[in-house]
Amino acid sequence: MSAIAASASPPAIARERARAAKRKGRRDARMAYLLLAPYLVLLVMFGLFPVGYAFGLSFVDTIENAFYGLANYEFVFNDFRVPSAVVNVLWFVAIWVAMTMVGVATLSLMLDSIGRKTATVLRTIYFLPGAVTSSAVVVLWLFMLDPGVSPFQGLLHAAGWTYSIDVISGLGLALVFSIMAYFSSSGGWIVVFGGALSSLPTEVMEAARIDGANRFQLATRIKLPMIWRSLVLMGILSFAAGLQLFVEPQLMQLAGPQSAQNDWSLNQMAFQYAFRMGDFGASAALSTMLVGSSIIIALVIVFATRFYKID
Amino acid sequence: MADARTPPFRLNLGRFVVFAFLAFGVCFYGVPLLWLLLAGTRSQSSLFADPPFTIGTWESFITTWNNLTTYNNFQIVDWAVNSLIYSVGGVALALFASIPAGYALAASEFPGRKLILVVTLIAMITPSTAVVLPIFLEMNLLGLNNTYAGLILASGFFPFGVYLTYVYFSSSLPKGVMDSARVDGANRFELFSRIALPLAKPIVALVAFFSFIGIWSNYFLAFVLLTDDKLYNLPVGLTVLISTSGALSNLPANDVPIKKPEVILAAILVILPVLLIFIVAQRFVRSGMLSGAEKG
Repeated sequence: MSAIAASASPPAIARERARAAKRKGRRDARMAYLLLAPYLVLLVMFGLFPVGYAFGLSFVDTIENAFYGLANYEFVFNDFRVPSAVVNVLWFVAIWVAMTMVGVATLSLMLDSIGRKTATVLRTIYFLPGAVTSSAVVVLWLFMLDPGVSPFQGLLHAAGWTYSIDVISGLGLALVFSIMAYFSSSGGWIVVFGGALSSLPTEVMEAARIDGANRFQLATRIKLPMIWRSLVLMGILSFAAGLQLFVEPQLMQLAGPQSAQNDWSLNQMAFQYAFRMGDFGASAALSTMLVGSSIIIALVIVFATRFYKID
Repeated sequence: MADARTPPFRLNLGRFVVFAFLAFGVCFYGVPLLWLLLAGTRSQSSLFADPPFTIGTWESFITTWNNLTTYNNFQIVDWAVNSLIYSVGGVALALFASIPAGYALAASEFPGRKLILVVTLIAMITPSTAVVLPIFLEMNLLGLNNTYAGLILASGFFPFGVYLTYVYFSSSLPKGVMDSARVDGANRFELFSRIALPLAKPIVALVAFFSFIGIWSNYFLAFVLLTDDKLYNLPVGLTVLISTSGALSNLPANDVPIKKPEVILAAILVILPVLLIFIVAQRFVRSGMLSGAEKG
């Protein structure tokens, strides 16, 4: 009897255990979905749905409410302002990303080569402008570029500029917007790389120093390669953010009507279509292309690099 | 000869270049901010006539303050209150949504987990400015334009917070404590509320920090979603002050009491909360921005 029971029970117990584990797993899953629910609602509302809705809307004639095929895209591509906005944005992105990569790397490496106390004070000074964002950074730099009031007025006068319009056209808009964006976005990265550099293994530094590497060689041959991947990630993220430029050109009108730039960037064009022309279809078509480029960049970062860990 | 105990200060070319660059950095980052903070105390004529780093007078500061706050029936006070409402509401919603979500992704295994993680990462890497116009089109459909709720809901979506929480709990949940609590009969929600939440203080602070900065200084989304000037936040209000008064355009004077000093003071109001938080919490940035991203 017992022998039969003994031989019959292990599979039964195993089955029972498996069933229990499955039930537990299902209950775990239910709890997980419950905890995720608020976030998933927001993810659908402000991530998936708007992107999908804009995509759908881009094939609709929103004024006549009829299917429009690719006509919205055609309209956008035939708008003479769009190619020049593409060129503008690419110039801005090129200058800003180069500035960010070179500036952040240079200042971070230099801060890492001087005394710790001085470096901490300087890093804080570089970091605080990060508080000046969005409209405030444009307002602040419109003051900085106004030779009448700017603390840099000596430099501006020396360059032969009398009014802010001279300064802006002298520097060029792409450079002006790059300076504004760099001013508020780079300090945070310098703090991040300060942390990354100080956590590099000291044995490696010691060994290099014993081998006779000077500060410059230490920075360019040892430290730079060790932070290179993070620098590239910063570059890609800046590139993706730069394509979406809106606030800086949009607020140039604050310096007076003669400085207004209402169709300088692509996001401004999408805004113009919706708000000035009431053409939501064209706006959706341009937005879809802009979001699409961001999503492609994000997919590349997630799947082609190993910058972010999932598990 | 130099004292043997103190390292000799040799001004070689390399050191000189390093300090020249760092000093240039101090000018570039420090001068505009210092100028702004001092300029808030100066009068319009002092801004033009005196040296850039003059400190103004108490009287001129009070005059500017009164001009700014009383303008248009204390409009800037309304905007500041709005900014506070959007920020508190948005941060609370972001925490409410992202802390449990990040915990669930880190602590349990369930169908769809990987997909949610990947979508979260993509949403986090996609700049929030890329979805502003799609969100506007959607809000237009739902009739949530020009409401507090619309902007708060949209700013409570914070995938970065979910990812930060996920990374935090992935490495810091004590599996042993979780298991023994389970044996002691704690149910799944209690595991979260009794064990994970008390551990979550640092990550709550970090998520609140990043979401607050984003929401407080959000211009683009607020500008697009809000057309009623009673609902503006401070960053949008600042630009409205300037465009209605022409204070930055150096055009012929008008009788609007908003001149350059008032604009400067308004700009200081916009940045001051974030500036204060930055001074206290610089280390948050270090631990947050590259978290999860493999170093080196």
